[in-house]
Amino acid sequence: MTRTRLTSMERPFSRRTLLKAGTAALAGTAALGACAFPLPAFAQTKPYSGVTIHGASFQHHFFTLLQNYIPEFEEKTGMKVDLQLSAFPVYNQQANLELSSGGSAYDFCNVTFILASRWVSAGLLTDLNEFTGDPNLTPAEWNPKDFVEGAQVPYRDAKGATYGYSWEGGAMVMGLSRMDLMEKKGLKIPKTFAELQQVCNEINGTDNVSGIVSFQLHNWNLPPYIQGFGGNVFKNPPSDIMPALNTPQAIEAVEFYANLLKNDAPKGVITFTEDQARQSVLTGRSNIFIHSSAWVTPILMSSESKVKDTSRVVRMPAGPVADHPASNSQGLGIPKNAKNKKAAWEFIKWALSPEISMRLVKEHGHSSICRRSVIQSEEYRKLNVVNGQDLGALYLEVLELPAKGDNYMAYRTVKEFPIVGDVINKSFEKVVTGQLSAHDAMNAAQDQAIANLRRAGSKI
Amino acid sequence: MTEEGLLDAERRRFNRFALAPSLIVLLLIAGLPAIYLIVVSFTPFQLTEPGSATDFSSPLRNYQLLPADPRFVNSLWVQLKLSAFGVAFQVLLGMLLARLLNVPSRFVEFARTFFLIPMVLPPIVVAVIWKVLYTPDISPLYYAASLLHVAMPELTSSVDFALISIIIADTWEWLPFTFLMVLAALQTIPDEFSEAALVDGANRLQIFWYVTLPFISPVLLISGMFRLIDSVKAFPLIFLLTSGGPGSLTEVTNYYAYLLAFDTNEIGYSSAVTVVMLLLVAAVSLGLVWMGKRREGFA
Repeated sequence: MTRTRLTSMERPFSRRTLLKAGTAALAGTAALGACAFPLPAFAQTKPYSGVTIHGASFQHHFFTLLQNYIPEFEEKTGMKVDLQLSAFPVYNQQANLELSSGGSAYDFCNVTFILASRWVSAGLLTDLNEFTGDPNLTPAEWNPKDFVEGAQVPYRDAKGATYGYSWEGGAMVMGLSRMDLMEKKGLKIPKTFAELQQVCNEINGTDNVSGIVSFQLHNWNLPPYIQGFGGNVFKNPPSDIMPALNTPQAIEAVEFYANLLKNDAPKGVITFTEDQARQSVLTGRSNIFIHSSAWVTPILMSSESKVKDTSRVVRMPAGPVADHPASNSQGLGIPKNAKNKKAAWEFIKWALSPEISMRLVKEHGHSSICRRSVIQSEEYRKLNVVNGQDLGALYLEVLELPAKGDNYMAYRTVKEFPIVGDVINKSFEKVVTGQLSAHDAMNAAQDQAIANLRRAGSKI
Repeated sequence: MTEEGLLDAERRRFNRFALAPSLIVLLLIAGLPAIYLIVVSFTPFQLTEPGSATDFSSPLRNYQLLPADPRFVNSLWVQLKLSAFGVAFQVLLGMLLARLLNVPSRFVEFARTFFLIPMVLPPIVVAVIWKVLYTPDISPLYYAASLLHVAMPELTSSVDFALISIIIADTWEWLPFTFLMVLAALQTIPDEFSEAALVDGANRLQIFWYVTLPFISPVLLISGMFRLIDSVKAFPLIFLLTSGGPGSLTEVTNYYAYLLAFDTNEIGYSSAVTVVMLLLVAAVSLGLVWMGKRREGFA
C-alpha cells in the first residue's frame, strides 16, 4: 500500500492548524484560570527560564563534584549553566585577558588568589555587597559572615566591598610520614625552625629516607621562612610594595631554607613538581612535607599512602620572630561587564550555600571548603579526625590566621607579586645550586625586582 | 607588444591569480599575528592595565630596555650554546649513524625504522620521557648507577649538567631527522666512485673524506640549517625539565618571552623580546641561504 502525501491546501485540517488551535485553547484556559485561581508560587519560581549563564574556572575537584549537582540547580531555577574548566595557567591567562579587555563572555568566574588584588584594584569585578545587602536577593540564612574571615581577605578592597566568596581554602601545614623513625631516634615533632633543621638532619639518610621534600614553587615555600625570621617580600604590602628581598631577615631565611634543601632533601628537589613531592612522602621516601593541607593530608587519608600509620599532620614550625604559615583561597565572583549578573549571583549563592557545602563534605569527603559552620559541624569532624588528629580544626586555625592582626598573606595578592615572585624563584635556585651566596643572590634579586617593577610601570 | 610578450603577461596574471588565495590565507594566519606582535611591541601593554595596549607614547621604550636586561642578554647566550651544541651533535651523530646503517640488510632496515621513533613523538611526550630519566628517585638510569655504586649528579638541577641534559634530550629527539636526510643522500652516491677510489689505494677514511663527504655536504648544510632554525623552539623540553633553571642557566629567549607574557603579564615587553628573536632567526636563515647560493655559484 502506498501513502499519498497531501499538500497543506489539500488537507482539511493541517497539523499546524490543529497545533495552533490547541495552543490558543490552552492559553485561553490558562488565562481564565489565572484570573479565577492565581497560580501557586512554585509555578513562578523559574524566573531564569531560557537564561544561560557562562562561567569559567580552572579544573579542580570542587567543580568536578559540583557538576553532579548543577542539574538540580538548573531544574530549580530554569537557567542553564555553561561552565568551562581549563588548566590553572590556561584559565588565568584567559580570564586575565577577558576581564582586562572588559569582555562580557563570563557571567561568573573564579577569582584566582594570586590575581585577586589585581582584578579588585583594577575594578574588573562586581561588588557583591550589592547582592548580599539586598534581602530580596540574598536571604539572611546565606550569611556571608559564615565564610572564614582569613579566606575572604583577598576579595575585599580597602573600603570593605567584597568581590568574591571563597570556595576553596588552602592552609600550609606540616606532614611527617616517618614518625616511627623519629621515635626510634627520640625526636619530637619540630615546633621551631631550629628544631626543624635538627629533625631533618637527623632523619636524612636513615633507611634511605630524606629529611624533607619540597617542590619548585619557591615563591610559595620560601616566604613563611622570610616572615618567620621577621622579614617580608615587600616593605609593607599592599600599601608599600617596595621589594624587601635583601633585608638581613630575608637573607637569613634564604640561607636557612636553601640549607634544608641542599643537605636534607632528595636529589633534584628544586625541579620537583607538587606531585613528585607528594609521592615522595606518600611512599615514605621523605619524612617532612610542608605545603597546603590538600597536598599534605593524603599521607593520612589517601588510599595511595603507605605511611598512614606512621604519619602526623601538624602546624608548620614557627620562626624565631613570627609564626606565619601560608594560606590561600579561591573565590567565585562576577565580572564587571557580565550580562546576567543576577542569574550569576543565584548560581554563586547556590554553589556556596551551606547545604551544598555540607553535601560536598558528607557525600564526597571534600574538606577544603570555607564555610565555618560546616567546618565546625559534627559531620565534618567525623570525617576529618584521623588517628586522633583533628585535621579540620588545624585547617581552620591556619586559614584564620591572616585575618588576625596584619594580613601577612597580603604580599601574595598585590599585582606586583608575580614579577617579584619570579625573581625570588630564580634567585633562590642560584643559592641552592651554589651559583651565588644568599647575600649576593638577594642583593641582586632586590635590584632586579625593582628594575622589573619599574619596567612594568610601577611607581616605586 | 609582441604575441610572445602578451602571452607572458597573460601567464604572469594567471600565476598571480592562482597564487592569490594561498597568499591571502598565509597573510591571515601568519602575517597578521606577526604584524600585531610588532605593533604591540611598541606599547607597554599589560593585561591588568586597561588602555596600555594602545599607548604609543614611547614606542621604542621596550627596545631601549632590552640591552640592559641581564636575563634577556643571558637568554640569547643560552640559546646560542643550546643551538650550536645541539645542532653540531645532531648533524655529526646523524651522519655517523647514517653511515653505520647504510647497508642492505633486513635487520638494519628494521633498526632504521626504530631510530625514527623519537622524531615522530609529540615533543611533550619526549619531555616526559626525559623527565622520568632525569628524576633521581624514579629514574632507571640512576637505579642502574646505584647498582654499580656510581654516584650520578642531579642532572637537571645541576649547574654543570642542566644545559647538557637539555642538549642530550634535544639531540635524541632530532637526531633521526639528520640521520634520515644523510641516509637518503648516501643512497644516491654511485658505488663506482668509491670502487674507483678503492682501486686507487684510498683507505676508508680517505674515501669518506674525498668521495662521500663532498656528496653529502649540501644535505648536511640544509639539515643543519633546518635544525638551527628549529632549535629555537626547544620550549617543551625546557618547560618540563628545568623551567629555565637552575637560576637562568637554561632559560632560552622564547622561554623568557613566555614567562614575561604569561607569568608577569608584560605582553608589550615580551613582544619586543619575541620580535628581536624573530629578527635573529631571520638573519641566520638568510645567512645560510646566502651561503648555500654562494656554494652553488662556486660549483
